[in-house]
Amino acid sequence: MIRTILNLVIFTSLFALAAGCGSPKTSENSSTKTTPGSANGDNSSLSGNITIEGSSTVEPISNRAKEKFNGSFPNVNISVSGQGTGNGFKALGAKECDVSDASRPIKQKELEVCKSTGINFYEIPVAYDGLTIVVNKKNDFVDELTVEQLKQIFREDTAAKTWKDVNDAWPDKQISIYAPGIASGTHDYFVEVIGKKDGKGLRADEQTMLSEDDKALVTGVKGDKFAIGFFGFSYYDANKDDLKAVSIVNPISTKSVAPSMASIESGEYAPFSRPLFIYVNAESYQRAEVKEFVDYYLQNIVEIVKDASYVPLPADIYESAKARIVKDLPGSHYLDAEGNKREGSVTEVYTEANLPK
Amino acid sequence: MKDSVAQPRKHRSVARRKLFNNSFSVICLLVSSLAIVVLATLLVAIFSTGGNWLSFEMLSGSHRENNPEGSGIGQAILGSLVICSICGLVALPIGVGTAIFLEEFKPKGRLLRIFHGLVQLNINNLAGVPSIVYGILGLTAFVYMFGAFSPIRVNDQPDHEIGATYFYQTKTLGGQYVRFPAVPLIQPVIKIKQGRNASKINGDKFKLNVVSASTEKSKYANQVNETVLLGTEAKLSSRNGNQVYEAKTIGGEPFNFPAEATYSQFAKIIEPITVSNSDGDTFSLNVLSKSEPIPTDPTILAQSVFADSPDPNKRSSASIFRENSLFHLHLPFSKSVLSAALTLALVILPIVIIASQEAIRGVPQTLREAAFGMGATRWQVVRSAVLPSATPGIMTGAILAMSRAIGEAAPLLAVMGGVLGTTNHLSSLMDKTPVLPVTIFKWAGDENQGFEHLAAAAIIVLLAFLLLMNSLAIFIRYRYEKKLS
Repeated sequence: MIRTILNLVIFTSLFALAAGCGSPKTSENSSTKTTPGSANGDNSSLSGNITIEGSSTVEPISNRAKEKFNGSFPNVNISVSGQGTGNGFKALGAKECDVSDASRPIKQKELEVCKSTGINFYEIPVAYDGLTIVVNKKNDFVDELTVEQLKQIFREDTAAKTWKDVNDAWPDKQISIYAPGIASGTHDYFVEVIGKKDGKGLRADEQTMLSEDDKALVTGVKGDKFAIGFFGFSYYDANKDDLKAVSIVNPISTKSVAPSMASIESGEYAPFSRPLFIYVNAESYQRAEVKEFVDYYLQNIVEIVKDASYVPLPADIYESAKARIVKDLPGSHYLDAEGNKREGSVTEVYTEANLPK
Repeated sequence: MKDSVAQPRKHRSVARRKLFNNSFSVICLLVSSLAIVVLATLLVAIFSTGGNWLSFEMLSGSHRENNPEGSGIGQAILGSLVICSICGLVALPIGVGTAIFLEEFKPKGRLLRIFHGLVQLNINNLAGVPSIVYGILGLTAFVYMFGAFSPIRVNDQPDHEIGATYFYQTKTLGGQYVRFPAVPLIQPVIKIKQGRNASKINGDKFKLNVVSASTEKSKYANQVNETVLLGTEAKLSSRNGNQVYEAKTIGGEPFNFPAEATYSQFAKIIEPITVSNSDGDTFSLNVLSKSEPIPTDPTILAQSVFADSPDPNKRSSASIFRENSLFHLHLPFSKSVLSAALTLALVILPIVIIASQEAIRGVPQTLREAAFGMGATRWQVVRSAVLPSATPGIMTGAILAMSRAIGEAAPLLAVMGGVLGTTNHLSSLMDKTPVLPVTIFKWAGDENQGFEHLAAAAIIVLLAFLLLMNSLAIFIRYRYEKKLS
């Protein structure tokens, strides 16, 4: 307490100082000193402004990229704001941002807006976000779940009441469910896996608690032995001492796989890993500062993604992303000529053949 | 006997009344201590979570992703202070002016009286409007300015701006960037990007529409002669001695519009030009043709570019960038510090007006009458008698209103976006900046647990600011009361 008061006294006497001084901290970890492309170059000579908007899920990755880039190029002013994927695409279409962060591929409607304003963009997958299913630490009966069992638990038409309803060996206790709310991209993605094909959504009964705040989900599962919930892998990673992650039986190999950086990266952890994207305005990329930033982003992507606790994509995806830019091939891989969404893993969809002709 | 019956009854009645009296005062005490308990819990919780995280580094630093130990709120403090002061500077004169009108210049004419009543009613209602509503208003009024000007876009220069200097920059073969000043020129060919006023060959003026290739034809079928495709090229020519751009509409009708000097996004380097590097050295750029051998001396390499190269990585084209002066302004204001400050000014305006009205009403009527008796006009009364004695009250109200403004997050999220950190400190009013409430909001929800502590520390700082402002208000009021008596 005394220390706190002391700190407060220091604060009040220094606050005027703090507001006035404080040049931006450019000193970074030693690892950020590498500057690809211009090893002997003087990087403080690059200037300009870059605006990044979009998904709050991707925001940490872009923020990390910004910090590392500014460690080498201190005079490029970058502003990152995470207002949601939809708002990011809106800003891209309105020419209000150079780079748009997205936790899902662009939709046909958003693509049409871009076409009408004359925007071309490079679609670049940057990382995997592994959706993690968690139970209470004291839960000793669930170690793995199949997609079928998940459907039984989470879908509105099956909506299992007790754990016994799912597996006879499990206790006859009510299941309590903690899930992200409907405005969240994570919710959408989960529903896509368990029920979109049959037109079924997530259950919404008195056993289900929806919240946009991931922290509330963690607290909920932590406090209830018979609870189950799900959220992004990075959030589980930050709270792994308090929670138990459930292994998911891969529907193709039928092997049970625990979520981890390695299993998400290798694609074994299926079907709950989704790619995250950045969309780069192709006209902006002609500008020296944007080009240098995006090139740097892709050059250091593995490190950036890991620093932000996300999972890097396979190396050849990054190579093809670089190739799209060098060959100047804009457009979305996820929409076909009729505007229908292509389904599949990022390695299947992100091919040059899927680009608009 | 009669007495012995009546006595206890009377006694009981007094006891009950006393009991009722005492229990009610206990209830009141409990209710009021509840408020204190809540506040105390809050303070203890915040200080125990964040107290140890307060440090000079934390107060001066900026946000670092996934690294709460290295993050700080220096930029946010500066941003909050700047926005709050501009907000006060704007809201105070307008607010006091309105209050003087409402209190001292009550109109006599019927129409004006209705207007006066309407203003008063509106202000009382506006004081209760949630701040996010003002955020949406600010988005329309300041960020986009009702669409009256062409919007701010990333690869176009704003039509109306001051205080910006444009440079081109290009990468030399040595990997360094060099810059040279950009000059607006009348380009020989431009691409039409937005609608504008144009005239036909016979001199008829019309409003040109721009549509994209993907737009359905039926949408412009009846105005093909007033519509062009996005990106249609217009060529420079001269008409009656004036320089104009000429192009044809979709319907094939030629039209023209006056030529203006604009900055082109890119400049091609074909001949040696004078450039400067980051050290401020100026030198003549060495332009190599493709056939020439590449020099090996790094100093020469750092001053050389290819005249033209098939390799896009070695392209000699230079791109434009803007350097803002402190007074950089453009219309519309877009998502910027100025939009944020003006929006907050709207939020606190009703509060400032009501507080100023109270202060003006508190000035004794005798003071006015004395001034009128001396032959002063109404304005002289206001200026020399009413305002001086109302100023401390007005200031108190204004400071309390500003302490509300400094804590607002919702309208700022709407008009500036949730910016956590920018590379540089605030350099002009057209920049975006992190502010304390938005930083607290974003940190509290961060998946890295450390940011929870940092958010608590930032709350302590915000509370300290509020305390500082409120005590200033109390101080001013205290001084004022002493002086008047």
